[in-house]
Amino acid sequence: MVKAVVGEDTRLTSVEDRLSHSAIPAEVGLVIGKLSSVLDRGFVFDLIPTPSNDDGEPACSVLETKDDKRKPSKSKSESSSLSIDSDWVAEHARQVSRMLLGGMKVVGIYVWASDAAFKNSTMILCQAIKGVTDAIRHLDPSLDEALLIHICYSPRRWSCRTCLLSSSITSSSLRPCDFKLGRVLSSLQRFKCSYSFNFRLPIYREGESTAQSFTDILRRELAIHAKELKSANAMVDGDLVHNDEPCNTDGEHEVELLFPFMKDSRAEALTAKNITGILLFGGSIFSYAYLNMKEPVSQAITDIKADIIRSLQSRLDIICDEAEQDVIPKDVGDDEDANEMSKIPISKLIFKSSTKICHLRLPRRVLVPWLADMYICDYLQPFESHEVVKERCIELMSMEHSSIDASKISEVETETSLLIAESMWDVISHATSASNFRLEGNVERTMGGDERKRTSNAGGNASNVPILVGIFVLLLSIVIGFMLYQSE
Amino acid sequence: MAPSSETATVRVLCQKLLLSGNQPGTLQWLIGSPFFPPFTVVSTFRCIHHSLDFQLESDDLRKLLPKGFEVIGGLIVGDSDAEKSAVEAVRAARRLRKHLSEGGELDDEKIVGASCDVGTGTIHFFISKTEKATKLEPVASVVYEDKSGKYLWENGCLLHCELPIKLPFYFPASSPSDSKEKFSEAVDAVVTQFKEPCAVYIAETLKKASGDVPKPVVLRGKDLGFGADASNINRLPAADQVSDIKMLSCSHFCLNSKTAAAVNSAENADKIHISVLLNRSEKSPTSGAPVAEYFPAMGEARLIVVDLNLDVLTYAPKDLPLMHAVSDLVIPALVDQLYSLKKIILPYLLMEHPQLRIYHFNPPGVLHPITTIYELNYGETEMKQVDVRKSLHLRLGLPLDRPLLRTANALDLSVNDDSRSNVKKRGSFLLKDVHIGIPSSEVSEGVASLIQGSYEYYHYLQDGFDDSGWGCAYRSLQTIISWFRLQHYTSIAVPSHREIQQTLVEIGDKDPSFIGSREWIGAIELSFVLDKLLGVSCKIMNFRSGSELPEKCREIAMHFENQGTPIMIGGGVLAYTLLGVDYDEGSGDCAFLILDPHYTGSEDHKKIVNGGWCGWKKAVDSKGKSFFLQNKFYNLLLPQRPNMV
Repeated sequence: MVKAVVGEDTRLTSVEDRLSHSAIPAEVGLVIGKLSSVLDRGFVFDLIPTPSNDDGEPACSVLETKDDKRKPSKSKSESSSLSIDSDWVAEHARQVSRMLLGGMKVVGIYVWASDAAFKNSTMILCQAIKGVTDAIRHLDPSLDEALLIHICYSPRRWSCRTCLLSSSITSSSLRPCDFKLGRVLSSLQRFKCSYSFNFRLPIYREGESTAQSFTDILRRELAIHAKELKSANAMVDGDLVHNDEPCNTDGEHEVELLFPFMKDSRAEALTAKNITGILLFGGSIFSYAYLNMKEPVSQAITDIKADIIRSLQSRLDIICDEAEQDVIPKDVGDDEDANEMSKIPISKLIFKSSTKICHLRLPRRVLVPWLADMYICDYLQPFESHEVVKERCIELMSMEHSSIDASKISEVETETSLLIAESMWDVISHATSASNFRLEGNVERTMGGDERKRTSNAGGNASNVPILVGIFVLLLSIVIGFMLYQSE
Repeated sequence: MAPSSETATVRVLCQKLLLSGNQPGTLQWLIGSPFFPPFTVVSTFRCIHHSLDFQLESDDLRKLLPKGFEVIGGLIVGDSDAEKSAVEAVRAARRLRKHLSEGGELDDEKIVGASCDVGTGTIHFFISKTEKATKLEPVASVVYEDKSGKYLWENGCLLHCELPIKLPFYFPASSPSDSKEKFSEAVDAVVTQFKEPCAVYIAETLKKASGDVPKPVVLRGKDLGFGADASNINRLPAADQVSDIKMLSCSHFCLNSKTAAAVNSAENADKIHISVLLNRSEKSPTSGAPVAEYFPAMGEARLIVVDLNLDVLTYAPKDLPLMHAVSDLVIPALVDQLYSLKKIILPYLLMEHPQLRIYHFNPPGVLHPITTIYELNYGETEMKQVDVRKSLHLRLGLPLDRPLLRTANALDLSVNDDSRSNVKKRGSFLLKDVHIGIPSSEVSEGVASLIQGSYEYYHYLQDGFDDSGWGCAYRSLQTIISWFRLQHYTSIAVPSHREIQQTLVEIGDKDPSFIGSREWIGAIELSFVLDKLLGVSCKIMNFRSGSELPEKCREIAMHFENQGTPIMIGGGVLAYTLLGVDYDEGSGDCAFLILDPHYTGSEDHKKIVNGGWCGWKKAVDSKGKSFFLQNKFYNLLLPQRPNMV
């Protein structure tokens, strides 16, 4: 349980300035920071206001109580209470937590309101906290407490409460705690990890996996992966992590993750069975984590591991969100199939019925400069450009348009080229020479609608050589096809 | 660096170069090490594939001989021309080395050839300089060293690496014949993984009594140099200040060198544990953001997961850089073992896989440890396993009536010492060999014949079980079974009274009501139980009167000389365990070493000895009192030592 909370001086004063000059009666938003159970301390990096909802209404407003017949003279504020669109705040939290790197989290909510309105709205606030924490729990399973920060405008005062999360949150779950301003961001240490994985998942002919869709299988895989990751050994700057001391050196630290040789938990679960095919799931993840100077190095490892899983989870969420929104087929494995599969997005595909090769690309992570020297991240679908990232930062993270320089967005992950294979047998025999079976510059054979979309966006990311090659081959094939057609 | 042939000296480290039971024409391999001065013979193995099947022979040696040792020559027990036999031995040794190296260039190696004269037992050594040279060079001198164990373990250490692998492989269900090929491919993929840049080897030692243990050292696959010949590796100067981790030597982890304690066997040698991990943070330029790709099998495919529990032990001199020890000893050992396991599993690929377990032994008389692969689907007493052990005994020149290569004899290299906690779990601790240190018998000119090996002392009221008045024969049986356990003839637990009764009911000797009763058992029942539980047969000696016992003293002494097992004394009276006799042939005077199960006190050696619960009993003591009663009959149960390995 966190006993004291330190807020970043520079950020929180500017939030306070903005609020006091804005004359808005009430505001709700998310608290970004970190709670350290080892140090019994919380750190607040920034406060992010929740944007207006789809109907253009603010997420938080002040309700005046209607029973003003008896004492009309009584000051309005004393009987006022807050109305919060909890679902909308929760949705905001869900989207924002995708954009945070390791060691930074949505740790609670803040409200800008009068003392009376705050006091009259405890239930509403508890509901909002519950909504927020429920929305982000799948990304952060260890979540067990949250902060509620109240910025009171008359008199001007900051107060902070911690909220112990249980099945039902009531006013008794709230406990006041020390709150002060200080330097938080400048004392953060940075940890970097590039994590590559490559799994071969058998798809059984019978049993539970038969009814599961592409994303279901990946989700189950993620759960196994998370467990495996938890027990992985780690090295920081080439040294095995075996004690709980803080890291004393400056600069960006390199984390390496070590796993048992050919004995992953997946193989344990494998049984001799008939299979219909295999799913290759692999790639490189760029992971990043921030650590307070006083925290032990092992915490950085925990944060890096959590970031890897959260990142995979978020990418999968994005794919699934997309599939919910529209049913337009995208990235379908083969052109001939397009008609038959047009009704199901690839993420919902069930392999049992499929004898076609198909693939699902997870979005790429990009880093966006945020406060001080810190980064946040976002995910790019193949057809998206940096402009989309910019828009999301403005909308979700409430960043200023002028403060985001699209050229400063760093592409930390490349687009993976797909394997060229007819069936799983090609893939398996290639794996013997594991190092060279993913050839750079290989072009996917699928030429769906998204290729064309990408063409229009290509100007946005000039660094993307494979796409350019792809376009070249596409054009070439059109030309050749045209010529062949002509010659007949 | 090698001395010229004129001054070549053969050093023999092992105590007995000639294995017992050699027939004329027997071939023995001479084992040395690339890390020792040339022509140093550490040990010798008998060639057991008599038709000289080099394929089988090299397969066997590859499994058996730890990396860090190699075949350096041959010895033939001959009856004719010494040099002719030696030439033959050299030729065989060269062929074997070729098989072991699988086609490596080995032409110019110097090989030791030796021959032994059957009649006199003298051994002549020769050196063969090259393969082409038909003439052998004589050896200037032969040095037989003692304290050779010390030499081995003061200069070297053991590297131990356990690596359990679960290896999945796929094959088309329509053509099971492809399965072998697919499995081989999967195994090859593992081999390449060992040498990938992402492989990481962590070296560490176990915590010893003294607190300070060096930090684990991480060796990366990309830093390891492969392909270098172990003998050509630069050895390090003795200097301890090596800053570069790549050049850190094995001695970094060796603690014994400082304490200079007696290190003369593999059990107390310095051990370095190597674990193999995969670094998933090694950058691979070709992979980008995660992608999931589905590839159908195009028809039904089957998945089979094979358990391959690798466990290798290698020997490295302490001044060898750790990095080379890993790349040139541990990894080749892992690869060899992987292929050995593959070879064993291949015929059973689509059936139930043999449960292969790897054990390391340090059998008496062999200076270095050896490694065996046992198949334990049906336990180790199964005939096939007995044959495997028999041929190993034969190869190593071990006696064929002593179990020395049972799993219970294996070296304990485990990281977590479960063995000690087992003792704690049992709660009570038993005294062993209580007869040691007791007052001698009063037979003046007697020759004592005692049991051979250790036993545990079982007696009344142990484990809080009240058997006072009826359980003495049960306790005697427990003592006897503990002897068989401690000599590794069996690994079954010492049975409780109830389990003994159950066994007797099972074989139909007693009614079911016998279980849980307080009925006595006698020598006959003991023989049934020993036969049922251990497969041990017994001889029974009957005496109508106790006074007849001294007459048979000579026969009993013979039992202790030849069998060495504890004897149970039963009959019309109380049961005892007999551990030995002291017999003066001239006068006929004799004494019996009795272990009395009727003791009800605590496990206190002094109390037991002072109370006479374990001690020499004369048939007729100084007061004229007979130990064996005249008017009672006696049965002696003489368990026969199993002729097994």
